[in-house]
Amino acid sequence: MTDAPDILLVEDNPHDVELTLHAFSQHHPGKHIHVVRDGAEALEFLFYTGTYARRPITGQPRLILLDMKLPLLDGIYVLRQIRSNTETSMIPAVVLTTSREQRDIYQCYRLGINSYIVKPVNFEEFSDVVRILGHYWLLLNQSAIT
Amino acid sequence: MQTTLLPRYSYESRIPKQGAGQYNGHLAGMTTSFLRNALRRRYVIALALTIAALILTMLLHQWIGAVTLQIAVAAVVLSAWFGGLGPGMMSALLLATGLIYYSIEPVYRFDVARVQDVVLLAVFMLVAILISSLAEARHRSEAALRARTQELEAANQELEAFSYTVSHDLRSPLRAIDGYARIAIQKHGGELAEPIQRYLNLIRLNAQDLGRLIDDLLALSRFGRQGLKKEVIDASALVKVTLEELKSEQDNRDVEIKVGVLPVCVADPVLLKQVYINLLQNALKFTRRRPHATIEIGCLDRNDGPVYYVKDNGVGFNMAYSHNLFKVFHRLHKSQEYEGTGVGLAIVKRIIERHGGQIWAEGGLDEGAVFYFTLDRLVTS
Repeated sequence: MTDAPDILLVEDNPHDVELTLHAFSQHHPGKHIHVVRDGAEALEFLFYTGTYARRPITGQPRLILLDMKLPLLDGIYVLRQIRSNTETSMIPAVVLTTSREQRDIYQCYRLGINSYIVKPVNFEEFSDVVRILGHYWLLLNQSAIT
Repeated sequence: MQTTLLPRYSYESRIPKQGAGQYNGHLAGMTTSFLRNALRRRYVIALALTIAALILTMLLHQWIGAVTLQIAVAAVVLSAWFGGLGPGMMSALLLATGLIYYSIEPVYRFDVARVQDVVLLAVFMLVAILISSLAEARHRSEAALRARTQELEAANQELEAFSYTVSHDLRSPLRAIDGYARIAIQKHGGELAEPIQRYLNLIRLNAQDLGRLIDDLLALSRFGRQGLKKEVIDASALVKVTLEELKSEQDNRDVEIKVGVLPVCVADPVLLKQVYINLLQNALKFTRRRPHATIEIGCLDRNDGPVYYVKDNGVGFNMAYSHNLFKVFHRLHKSQEYEGTGVGLAIVKRIIERHGGQIWAEGGLDEGAVFYFTLDRLVTS
């Protein structure tokens, strides 16, 4: 029986996925990161539907990293669903996206995001962001879910 | 795996829908909206004014008989002012008819007995036509202005959506370029020949440069589009705050900054601060090679108003190229000597011009530079 992943990474850009996984493997080796490529798949994973209907019920991820620009269902919709369902509303969710626009930030906080991070272009900075995120949310932060 | 391109690159969904009411292109729509708007407001107002004038002249004929014509003209003027040509002429015709019947000999008949009354009526109609035409011209130009403003607002919103998309979609591949080059060096640096490592590092450098260019272009477009929120500002206080924020650029340097008396001014505080940030950053940057840097911030009291200035004793610039100083991405110095993308002064110029002011500069090669600007007027000299 496989444990629940540490992190659910919701990201459609394959390069960003690879760079994120590489950075995580550098700074936080051994952490289990599950990647879903669009909003619909993210919800299927979290609510045990569709392709994940048979996912062993071992718990939810300890952190959701959410990109806003996703195909099918976009990040805002996913966020709304996550926050309005009791099974998922307390999972820390951090937006990791390209937009720095005020209205996007505002909208995310309104929907109950825990944190909003803009992906740096520079890989060193990006790697640093990943290191800090992993350290803060997986090591320092106390989860509500046992 | 392949994401659909169309939803990602459509700007239309980001533009809020404009109110469709008044500007229907459809003919039926135009007719009904004309009927709705016109009948309801302009002509009704004109009718009300005309009837009021007629009642006034009828009831008070004995006391104000001498001024019936003036009252009639006043009614026409008001009708035309609020409604334009149509309501003005309608009012004039109704009043003329009313006057013929009630006031002009013979009374209570639609005849006009005296020649001077015919002349009077003719003059009245001419005046009515004149006034109505002028009022119509004013209405037309106002409507044109409103249409133009709507067009500009729509264009502005499209530009906003465009910049938004550009900032995202240009940055993502940049991140990949920078990231993969870095990983290649990290993981395989030892196996790679020197030139290849150098090329990979250059790929990274250029990707990061491009990232900064994108950021600067976005900032420029934002400063050009932002609404102005003018307030009364204490310019001296603003400058002092700005200098505090730029303290780190003065570390380990001999920099002397003189702040003169700056009068209170009316401007957008955030934008004016940006002006001073950019000008002072430039001053600090281009005086870097001076053992003793002096920067002077002040205001000249000219006859037609205050002229603010920022002066430095830095490397200056060649006056022959001064017309390029404020152009986007134009730099008058080699990028190896002084960093920057060349957008700082373009932003300053845009902000100043949006305030209705003007900016210009004087300087000499190795003789420092002075940047002058006004906030509320154009300077002729």
